[in-house]
Amino acid sequence: MKALKLDPRTKLFMIFAVSFIVMVNAVTPLEWAVRIAVTAIPILLLAAEGRYISAIRFTVCYGAALALMRFWLSAESTGVLSAILIGYCGIVVQFMPAMIMAWYVIRTTKIGEFMSAMQKMHIPDGISISLAVVMRFFPTIKEEYAYINDAMRMRGISFGGGRCTKMIEYRLVPLMFSCLNIGEELSAAAVTRGLGAPVKRTSTVQLRLGAADIAMTGFFAASMMLFVFAKYIR
Amino acid sequence: MIELNHVTFRYKGISEGGVYDLSLKIRKGEVILLCGASGCGKTTAARLINGLIPHYYKGELTGNVTVNGRDIAQTELYDLAGVVGTVFQNPRSQFFAIDTDGEMTFGAENIGMPPKEILARKNTVASEMQIEKLLDRSIFGLSGGEKQIIACAGINVLSPDIIVLDEPSSNLDCEAIGKLRGIIAQWKSQGKTIVIAEHRLYFLRELADRMLILENGRITKELNAAEIQALTAADTEKLGIRPITSPPILYSPHNSDMKNDVLTLENFRFTYKDGKHGINIPKLELPLNRIIAITGHNGAGKSTLARNICGLERKCKGIMKLNGKSLKAKDRLKCCYMIMQDVNHQLFTESVRDEVMLSMTDKSLREEQKAQKADAILAQLDLTEYADKHPMALSGGQKQRTAIASGIASSKPILIFDEPTSGLDLAHMNQVAEQLKRLRDIGKTVFVVTHDTELILACCDEMIRLENGNVEEICSLAHDEA
Repeated sequence: MKALKLDPRTKLFMIFAVSFIVMVNAVTPLEWAVRIAVTAIPILLLAAEGRYISAIRFTVCYGAALALMRFWLSAESTGVLSAILIGYCGIVVQFMPAMIMAWYVIRTTKIGEFMSAMQKMHIPDGISISLAVVMRFFPTIKEEYAYINDAMRMRGISFGGGRCTKMIEYRLVPLMFSCLNIGEELSAAAVTRGLGAPVKRTSTVQLRLGAADIAMTGFFAASMMLFVFAKYIR
Repeated sequence: MIELNHVTFRYKGISEGGVYDLSLKIRKGEVILLCGASGCGKTTAARLINGLIPHYYKGELTGNVTVNGRDIAQTELYDLAGVVGTVFQNPRSQFFAIDTDGEMTFGAENIGMPPKEILARKNTVASEMQIEKLLDRSIFGLSGGEKQIIACAGINVLSPDIIVLDEPSSNLDCEAIGKLRGIIAQWKSQGKTIVIAEHRLYFLRELADRMLILENGRITKELNAAEIQALTAADTEKLGIRPITSPPILYSPHNSDMKNDVLTLENFRFTYKDGKHGINIPKLELPLNRIIAITGHNGAGKSTLARNICGLERKCKGIMKLNGKSLKAKDRLKCCYMIMQDVNHQLFTESVRDEVMLSMTDKSLREEQKAQKADAILAQLDLTEYADKHPMALSGGQKQRTAIASGIASSKPILIFDEPTSGLDLAHMNQVAEQLKRLRDIGKTVFVVTHDTELILACCDEMIRLENGNVEEICSLAHDEA
């Protein structure tokens, strides 16, 4: 299968649209319909990246959360169990779709493409460079975290010797130190290659909006309009 | 071309690594090799030339540095980007882009070169360096050697006249070092001026025009090309630097006097998600209480084998037989301890003593007894005076020793080292070798994943060579002392 290729600008719009629609409170059936339709896209993108198991797992969780909210929970629910379930549903229904979108964007966007897109949108270099560094750092954090986890397993302290605060501390302290070190070396390397020069940065990436971009943008723009109309105008 | 005029520099807040009254003239087209022990100031000298000092690393600077007639202190770093190119030590942290194409074009884009020209240059460079197969790949999927080649390619796209390399071979195997050597030779033939700060010297023997040995921030000896080539192993040892020739490893075929205890690996098969890399070892018998080197090219499966011995890969179905017990991955985690290449990943607590005590899982010991035991171990490793310091405040070697101390404290019989000497000078490498021998003497079985031939010669008893995940060769090493 040829990988789906989207323009970074489309991707940014998709993150915005998905976040907006899934995070704003939905009440009526129409609003729910729009929200569910929009959530289908991140699931399809997971599958497009070859993460079939994750896609299925999320679909099942999402279905379960919807069923719970429809048949079990209501605004009047009380008790610890309900509180936990409400928390679970909230995370799965209102956060996960946006998280998956963000994951997809970070995974599939090259730094060069991103910089070029930001430039086309006339965003100042300072802002796009900072955002690019954040994007660049996600895979690094993941790598470092994996090493730290290994080290903890080897010493049998994965659970912090039974103390919850230690469990977090032992992970975060080495992670912060290594990210700081990498960050410092990274920026030293970047400035020796002219990052931050006052000339207009050029880009070798030629961005073109394709059929997929137009379809996605159209779909999300329509969903947003429908949602806003259903919620605030009618 | 490059002129350092009575330069003195001290880093802010750090006493080590500065340079004092350094004067140096480098002519166009020269290849200069800076060497000396860690902290001797060679990296600082490199940073003075590429402008990271004083523009990025702050400190007290007197004297002046001129490159191509420009005063570095008065020139902005971005104006130097097309003049001085730099290859750094750590391939992990010198890439801004996450794809190889983006990385190669990054510098040229920053200085505003027209896109058509950048692409044309990129393609020329790729075909000249024969790295077409590395294009359009993710940086995270490359080996250390491939990353370093991409860093060089990025420099070639900008094509500066001066190239500075700061310990470029630290993380590379012999083959990758050979490729790096080829690239440097090509730069030399193009008339570029090259400054290299390095510990490993053998690959630069025929390339260097001048070698400067630094000690405590001063140049103590200068050698010309003929003198470099005439250096013998005894000379380099006296100078405190690594050998200039790569000595042969003397070994005998695996002399299986395995009447003693053995450790057996059975059915060690493991493949990574990409389906290409992994290991395939049906059976391997190794003697206990030895120092066993695991070598092979980058990507041959050395680290994978180490991770599997350690039990870090849950999917591996392999069994290790030790003292008559069969150990699965989960059990191996309890009897193996790995000292990672980047020890920062395995130091968790607020003091060196706590770090060691954290490894003592014996519940019957009281806190005071643990502290006592910890202090005894710290004394063995010359860490007593640092017992109350924060591990992150220590030097690289001290951190490594702290990790070793935790390993000893865990009383696990098997210790595994992943590249313990990458980027170390001769004195520190010998120190590591001594430590490994000491561990053997207290009864541990030590595995060392390494491509440092000099370390293998200094201390290893056995050597396993891996190729494409298979054991290609296993042999016992001859020692003078034995």
